[in-house]
Amino acid sequence: MPKEEIKKKQKTKLIALHSSNKTYEFSKPLEKKIKYMGKTVDVKLREDPDGFSYIVWKNKKYMLDIIEKNQNKYTIMINGVWHSFTVETPISLKRKKFLESQGEASSKVEITAPMPGKIIEILVENGSEVKEGEAVIILEAMKMQNEITSHVNGTVKNVNIRKSDTVMKDDVLVEIERS
Amino acid sequence: MKIKSILVANRGEIAIRIIRTAKKMNIRTYVIKTAKEPGAWYLEEADEIIDFTEDFSEIPEFLDIERIILAAKEKGVDAIHPGYGFLAENPTFAQRCEEEKIIFIGPSPDAIYRMGNKTIAKDLARNHKVPLLEGSKGNVKNADEAVEVAKSIGFPVILKAAAGGGGRGMRVVEREKDMERMFSLASNEAEKAFNNNAVFIEKFVREPRHIEFQILADKHGNIIHLGERECSIQRKHQKLLEESPSPVVDPELRKKMGEAAIRIAKSVDYYSAGTVEFLLDDNRDFYFMEMNTRIQVEHPVTELVTGIDLIEQMIRIAEGEKLPFKQADIKLKGWAIEFRINAEDVQSGFSPSLGTIEKISWPESENIRVDTGVRDGSVITPYFDSMIAKLIVYGDDRNKALQEASQAIRKFWIKGTKTTLAFCRAVLQNSNFRNGNFNTSFLSKELKIHYQFEPDEVLLAAFFAVYDYARDVEEQEEKSIDQRKSKNITPWLLNKRLR
Repeated sequence: MPKEEIKKKQKTKLIALHSSNKTYEFSKPLEKKIKYMGKTVDVKLREDPDGFSYIVWKNKKYMLDIIEKNQNKYTIMINGVWHSFTVETPISLKRKKFLESQGEASSKVEITAPMPGKIIEILVENGSEVKEGEAVIILEAMKMQNEITSHVNGTVKNVNIRKSDTVMKDDVLVEIERS
Repeated sequence: MKIKSILVANRGEIAIRIIRTAKKMNIRTYVIKTAKEPGAWYLEEADEIIDFTEDFSEIPEFLDIERIILAAKEKGVDAIHPGYGFLAENPTFAQRCEEEKIIFIGPSPDAIYRMGNKTIAKDLARNHKVPLLEGSKGNVKNADEAVEVAKSIGFPVILKAAAGGGGRGMRVVEREKDMERMFSLASNEAEKAFNNNAVFIEKFVREPRHIEFQILADKHGNIIHLGERECSIQRKHQKLLEESPSPVVDPELRKKMGEAAIRIAKSVDYYSAGTVEFLLDDNRDFYFMEMNTRIQVEHPVTELVTGIDLIEQMIRIAEGEKLPFKQADIKLKGWAIEFRINAEDVQSGFSPSLGTIEKISWPESENIRVDTGVRDGSVITPYFDSMIAKLIVYGDDRNKALQEASQAIRKFWIKGTKTTLAFCRAVLQNSNFRNGNFNTSFLSKELKIHYQFEPDEVLLAAFFAVYDYARDVEEQEEKSIDQRKSKNITPWLLNKRLR
């Protein structure tokens, strides 16, 4: 294939990369049509008078909403379930996959706060051995005490918080070196 | 005495629910406005607002007994309805109302006190031949004592807050080595939630059903039950879905459990609406857990199958009226299921999801009832619990109710926050749930994925993301072309003008 054509082809595609690593390709220019099991199916994007956005697809309505958007990162809520994507071009996707394969060598795992709250108790310290499923932090949110557990086996490398600290969602609480 | 005015010492959907019945009965209503949600919907539903926004008290507004009593006296209200939570099961509050000649719409302070104290409640059950689970004689002081008791009745055991309810201050302990940590978790949580860190131990029944009976009793000694509610679908002891009747309770078991519930209630000369909670095991043996001396979140399912307005009955009983029906008049008709819609992110372990409800809408039909305290623009704050709405569906039988529910949930749209609606869909899809074959371990064992979606939905979401992204890129390109154009033009124009 001549170079020009390859370039053209790459330019005419956008890919949604789902957090599960599944990809969804759409050709540009984008039309309100989706290729689905070998057929092209029309998609209708609508907004109803109440202010809900919805897609009509195969005669069914799907309520959907962008709940987070940051450059090419999207979180889309559809019928009450959210899905995270990054929108990539064929080139950026290739680069991303390459970088990820480089990154796998690193074995540090971060335990983050799943919700905003207050640190009630820290159950580990630097050097503690933890097992998958073991509680490392007690976090209080909405009047409930929640156990934050490690999702890997390993050694605690860093404790970033102190007792009674208030943390935001996604704050890194503890770093663990995978064993 | 006829009640002409009620102060509703609560917020959200239950405040609106109580006001609805009060309006029907031509009763004037008062509510409390707090700085935590000064624009909340319940405020507009009441006839008059009592302003607590100037926060001079350390005590949270809806727990401030003396401030509420003072406000009620200043406004000269006849009665206070506490709703659920907050002061609903606080004997001191009921007592203070009595002292100040304000009618407390609920049971006597003595009944609240005795049922609220789990040790006394258990003694009452034992003395009235109601089966119960063995456990510690009273509260346990520390983890060591807890281990001792646990060994005598056998692991697993459950630690429970003596003043508790709603799943807080509760921990299951499987092994001796977990006791110390679990004990401190349970008692800390109890301290925070109820201002009382006392906990007791009970034998833990693995995978029971949670079945509760609705009681109505007047001040003249008449007492009946309104059948059961099945509340086995729970997460960490918090109910998520309730139905009436239960798929496993037949008339014979209903009679047996209902009579036991009545014996318990009678033992404290109970009046008003109340609920007796039981565990039901595989052998269809039941055990008394506790009595809730208030209206419950899940009361609508009982209302739909009995046709009785429980709030109205509470008010009439408080006025001293006699119950207008006898046990034989109570017939359960059809099937009702309630779904609690919480502002929680099911995909992140049910973590709280704050934000603003941009839009909320649901399908209207005679078989659908929605009790909610939010509407378009309502803000979900971290100060109160995460329940934003209750969807209650009705059908002639369970299958019809399930069918109704599937359709209603599909058309129940909320924009602006993550909710448990996707969880409701997942439960409805589960064949064991549909067959009525489930217990309190349903969430942890049976339902592997706590939310449900179709593969098509991911495709459509992907399309939507790409479409939005492409539109943004296009817009930006247009802008930069405009800018380039203007850059080309401006210097020329400028030069011309300068010349």
